[in-house]
Formats: sequence, C-alpha cells, structure tokens
Amino acid sequence: MLILAGPTGGGDEHHGAPHHPERPARIGAVMAGVEDLRLGEELVTLEAPPAPVDDLARVHRLPYLDEMESFCARGGGDLDPDTYARPGSWEAARRAAGAGLAAAAALRAHGDGVGLVVARPPGHHAEADRAMGFCLLNNVAVTAASLTAVGERVLIVDWDVHHGNGTQSIFWDDPRVLYVSTHQWPLFPGTGRAVEVGGVTALGLTVNVPLPAGATGDVVRQAVDHVAGPVVDRFAPDWVLVSCGFDAHRDDPLGELALSSGDFARLATDVAGYAPGPGRVLLFLEGGYDLAALRTSTAATLGALLGGGDRPEEPTSGGPGGDQVRATALRRDRAVHVAGESAPMDL
Amino acid sequence: MPPTRIPTTIAVGFDGSPDAVRALAWAAGLAATTGARLVVIHAVGLLEHAGIAGRSTAHREAVLGTAAGAGLGPERVEWSVADGDPCSVLLRATEGPDPADLLVVGSRGAGGHPGSVLGSTSLELAERVRTPLVIVPEGHPVTVP
Repeated sequence: MLILAGPTGGGDEHHGAPHHPERPARIGAVMAGVEDLRLGEELVTLEAPPAPVDDLARVHRLPYLDEMESFCARGGGDLDPDTYARPGSWEAARRAAGAGLAAAAALRAHGDGVGLVVARPPGHHAEADRAMGFCLLNNVAVTAASLTAVGERVLIVDWDVHHGNGTQSIFWDDPRVLYVSTHQWPLFPGTGRAVEVGGVTALGLTVNVPLPAGATGDVVRQAVDHVAGPVVDRFAPDWVLVSCGFDAHRDDPLGELALSSGDFARLATDVAGYAPGPGRVLLFLEGGYDLAALRTSTAATLGALLGGGDRPEEPTSGGPGGDQVRATALRRDRAVHVAGESAPMDL
Repeated sequence: MPPTRIPTTIAVGFDGSPDAVRALAWAAGLAATTGARLVVIHAVGLLEHAGIAGRSTAHREAVLGTAAGAGLGPERVEWSVADGDPCSVLLRATEGPDPADLLVVGSRGAGGHPGSVLGSTSLELAERVRTPLVIVPEGHPVTVP
C-alpha cells in the first residue's frame, strides 16, 4: 500500500521565474510516476493540511515563522539568488510540512505500507531561522521532530545530490535523530564534510559521505552500507524518513552524480531494510529537476518498495568515489574519536 | 577585552550588484591603506552552478579593476568562489584556520527588501557574525576610507 500525502504545490501558489527549475510541474512529474504503477486500491491519498505552528516551532524559531508569514503576506520576493517566496508560499510551505505529519499519522494508524510526501517547496536546506536552497520550511525535520516528541527514534536518509544542511543543523545535538547524507562534493551548500559528525550530545549521529561528480549507484549504495550501516544498526531506529531527492539522477541539470532510476530502486530497498517493521518508511520529495527523470525515478523507487518491478533504467556502476567512501569511514571514526576526547567529562 | 588591532585579512562579499561594488571599493581602499590582504568572496548558489544564473567568472576582471582603482594591486587581492548561500559562505570566511578579521558587505546586495531581515545578507550577518562587520550603506560615495 502507498500512502500518498498530497499532491500539494503543483499549482500557482508557489512559483518563481519561468526559468526556475524548482517549479510546479515537478509535482505533475512525480504524480505521473505514481500513476505509472497503476496501484488501484493500493493507493491511499491524503489531504495535506497546513502544519500547525506548534509543530513547525519544534524545528523553526518563532520569529522566523512570523517574519516568513508576514513577508509572504506583503507580496514576497527573492530571499537569496536561488530562493523565492510569493504571496501563496507561506500556505504552500505549511501544507508541504503538514503533508509529512499527515502521512506519518496514517502510517501509524495503518501499521503497514510506504508513505510518500508529494509536496513543494522542498525542505532539507531550510534551517531553524533561515530559508535557502529553494526551501522555506524543513518538511522532513518537522515530521521527525513530531515523532521524537512522542519518544520515537528517527533515521533520516538524505540521498539528494545536495547536502541537507538544514536537517543536519536542526538535529546536530539531538540524540534521538540519526542523519545520514550522501551528496556530491564540492557543491552547494558547501556543508557535509565527512568530519561533520554531530554535536557533543549526539556525537556520531550525523553521517556525511561526500562523493565526487560522476559517482554511480554502486558507490552510493556502498556509502550507505559501509559507512552508515553500522551506525544505523547501533542506533536502532523506530522510523526511516527519506529526503528523497532525485537530482542525483544522471540527467538532472543541477548536479553531476550519475545515478539511474534503477539505482534509486536499489537504494530504496536497502534503506527500507533499516526500518523495524512495516509502515515505518516515509519518503519526502526534495530535489529533482529533470521531469522525465523525476517520473521514472518515482516509479522505480516506489515499485521497489511496494514489491513491484517498474525499473526502466538499469542500475549503474563503475563511477569514481569508491576510494573516497573508504576514506570517509576512517575520517569519520577519527573525527568522532577526537571530538569525544575533547568533550566535557560530565557528558 | 583585547586591544583593537589593524586587520590583516579583509573579506568582502561580492555578487556583482552596485552595492557590492561600493563595498568592494571601500574594502580595497582600506586594505591599500593598512597593508591588509583582501579576499573577495563570491557565493555560488544552485542556479549559478547550473548555468541558469550569471557565472562568477564574469565578475573577476571587474573586481580587480575596482581594487586597482582604489590603489590595491592584484598581488594583494584574492578572488574566492565558494558553494553556498551568501550568508553562510561569508560566515565561513570568518572561521577556520585562516579567518578574515574584518568582513565588509554592501547594505543590500542583489536581493533584499526594505523592512525585512529576510533576503538581506547584511542584516543576517549582523545577527550572526563574530568578526567585526562593516556594512557600506546604499548611496555611500565610493571613496578610500
């Protein structure tokens, strides 16, 4: 069963200049990928209600939320060279965040299925008090925080081509959340080095695997398995949330990784294996700006998770980065050790 | 409190806007006067990386020309391009092993909206930076400090 929250953000409520890649048509491409699976009664669609401010305030500072709301109400504008807000953006962003909350609640109620949040604007670059990288509110973080608030332990896997600086910073010191990111390096936003391993109260619970341009699916899977796998096993998550950016696809105009839709299918299967049981995997749309790749990657990913086989592109292998993955594991261990040695004794 | 000292490395944010040119000229003039090194920093965002927005390479010659006009030779100017949003990139320039000890920006940059912190790199920096910050105001005459 697919529990789909949304779609939301596919209209005119949040749009930039005509050339802007983070555009409403992305939602249509993802939905086309869902429809390709012909799920019939196995598809449950949920409304995406605006997230309550109390939920947003778990990860965003109230003055930021107030300022963003009033900024949009005044007509909005460009927030930085990449990021925009329009009069309808505040409502759109709240719905994108609310979609995750609705999907998590439905998964819990059903006790089965896979969740998918089809919403924009995306979220993983948004920090506690800053919009950036097309993101206004951090959707995956809002849902993760709602789960930790009731005692759950949350793994966030972020396979977007860009590092999720916002998610990392929000949970930097939170021992209830394990954040794992594979991403192209160097690339926007400039964070996500292997030695970024978490704060003193969550040491080792941030896992970054930077990868060179051209890295293929086998390298990304190796990164998740070899570097993150042992940490995930020790962490024992109750939930697996995925910052599901399809801009690591080889056809994407904003990155230079070389994955195919078949790679996302394999990655999804690997990552879902970290869930403690059914109904505990929830995917959030992040990046992905080539509409055809968005469609095929959505279908392949969901097909793999739901037991289907829609995989129009073969998995890739042979790209660079294997050595870097092995080096990352060593550099991480050293960074955790050094930070632990210098941590205050009473911690 | 440590005594005030003359900065040895001045970082200035540059996005090609008129305010950034003004800030660059002011910072270059100060560097020429004090003997400091000038690091001109350009943040590359998602759109610029993808070639959808203007490329930073177009700025480099203009930067050197402006610095020369303020009396600062190219040997004292470092052109630095870094991935990230402008605020984060400039904050990183004031941290790490070789940090700038003075940061200079224009008041608005290419974005910015009157009455709002959102979209204003200079106001965000004023809230976050731990290094002395100079915000060269809009309309300030481009003269050597």
